[in-house]
Amino acid sequence: MEKKKILIVEDEASLQGAMQDFLLAEGFDVALAIDGEIAVRLAKSENPDLILLDIILPKKDGFEVLTELKADEKTKKIPIILLTNLESAEDIDRAFSLEANTYLVKSNYKLEEIVQKIKEMLKMPK
Amino acid sequence: MKITNDFDLKKQAEELGVSVWRTPSFLFIVMGIIIVSAMTAIYFISKEYDQPEILIGAESLVVIVIFIIGNSIIKQVEEMAKLNKLKSEFVSVASHQLRTPLSAIRWETELLLSKLGSGMDEKQCKSVATINTLATRMTRLVNDLLDVTKIDQGRMVLRKEAVDVSKIINESVEDLLPLAKAKNLQIMVNKKGEIKEIIADSARIRVVIENLLSNSVKYTRTRGRIEVELFNSDGFVVFSIKDDGVGIPAEQQKQVFSKFFRSDNAVRYQTDGTGLGLYIAKNIVEQSGGKIWFQSKEDTGTVFNFSLPMA
Repeated sequence: MEKKKILIVEDEASLQGAMQDFLLAEGFDVALAIDGEIAVRLAKSENPDLILLDIILPKKDGFEVLTELKADEKTKKIPIILLTNLESAEDIDRAFSLEANTYLVKSNYKLEEIVQKIKEMLKMPK
Repeated sequence: MKITNDFDLKKQAEELGVSVWRTPSFLFIVMGIIIVSAMTAIYFISKEYDQPEILIGAESLVVIVIFIIGNSIIKQVEEMAKLNKLKSEFVSVASHQLRTPLSAIRWETELLLSKLGSGMDEKQCKSVATINTLATRMTRLVNDLLDVTKIDQGRMVLRKEAVDVSKIINESVEDLLPLAKAKNLQIMVNKKGEIKEIIADSARIRVVIENLLSNSVKYTRTRGRIEVELFNSDGFVVFSIKDDGVGIPAEQQKQVFSKFFRSDNAVRYQTDGTGLGLYIAKNIVEQSGGKIWFQSKEDTGTVFNFSLPMA
C-alpha cells in the first residue's frame, strides 16, 4: 500500500520533531512547513493526504492558511486537523466555520491519539 | 454575621493587598461620618443664620466633600479591579506559554517510550515514564488554572454542539483503566435505555466527566468498585458516578465545590490533586443549564450526579 503523506505545519521545533518522528515510525511520509506561506506552497506542490495545522504561525496564521486552502480547487478536499494550544470557543467556532475537519488542543492529546484521529480520517485500519 | 464580615477592615485590607485606610469599607465609613457631621452642622448653621446664601454655601460644601470621597472610593475599586484583571491575564499568558514546552516534554517522552525505547533498559524506561506522567499532571494543573481564571472573569464561553455522551464516557473510562487496573478496581458502565441527545460543549463536558471519574478512581481503595450510570429523567440526561471509596467527612461536605478545597481524606490518602476539579465541574455544568449534586458517607463511598438538559 502506498504511504500516506502528512503535511505538518508547526513553527515550534521540539513539537515538530516529535510529531515527525512519531509519524515516520507509524509508516507515514512527512512534509514539514515552519510558517504559513511555506504551508500553502507545500500543500499545493506535495499533495499531502492530510494536513496538521497550527494556528499561531509566522507570516500567515493558521486561519489564513485554512481559508486559502479551502478556497483552492486543488487543495480544498485535503482534510485539515487544526492542532493548536488555543482553545477558546471563538477560535474553535471560527475554525469550523472555515471548514476545518477537526480541531484538537495539543496539550490534551498524546501523539498516539493524534495518529488514531489521522487514521480515522483517512479511513485506514487502526 | 455577613455585615460584620463586610466591615472586618483588617481582613479586607489583607485580602485586597492594600492598607486599611484605602479599603472601600473604611472610606465608606468615613463618608458616612462626614455626611452625618455635615447634616448636623447644617442643622446648627440653619438655626443660627437664616440667610439662604450661607445655607446653600454649606450644602454645596457638603456635596463637594461627598463627591471627592465618593470619587476616591470609586478610584480605589477601579484600581483593584484593574490589578485583579492584570493578575488573571498574567495567569492566562503564563499558562499558555507553559503549554507548548509541556506538550513537547510529553510528546518527546511518549516517542521515547513507544518508538525509540528499544535501546533503553527497564530503569531508564521507568524514569522516562515518570517524566511523562508528571508532565501530564502539570498540563492538567495548567489547564485547571486557565479554566478557573476564565470562570472567575466570567470569560468561560461554552460551545453548542451535539455531545456524544456515551463516547466521552467510554473514552474517559479507557483513559483511567491503567490507573484502575493498578488498584484492581472494577469500573462498570450502565446506560439505561436510549440516551437522549444533549447540546453542550463537548470538550468541557469531557472535563467534567474526567474530573468526577478520576476522583472516584483516586479515592476508592484497592479492589473497590465504581459504577457509572447514564439515564434520562424529566427533560434531563443524568450522569451518576458511584464509588465505594473513602468518602467525604460530613463536616466538610459543604465546601466540596469551593475553589482549592481538598478533604482531609484526600490529604490523608496522599492523592495528588489541586482542589479545582469540582469547582470547575460545577461551573461548567451550571453554565450548561444543568445541576450537580452528591451524597457521601465517610468510609462507605460517594455518588456524584450531574444533569444536562436534553436538546
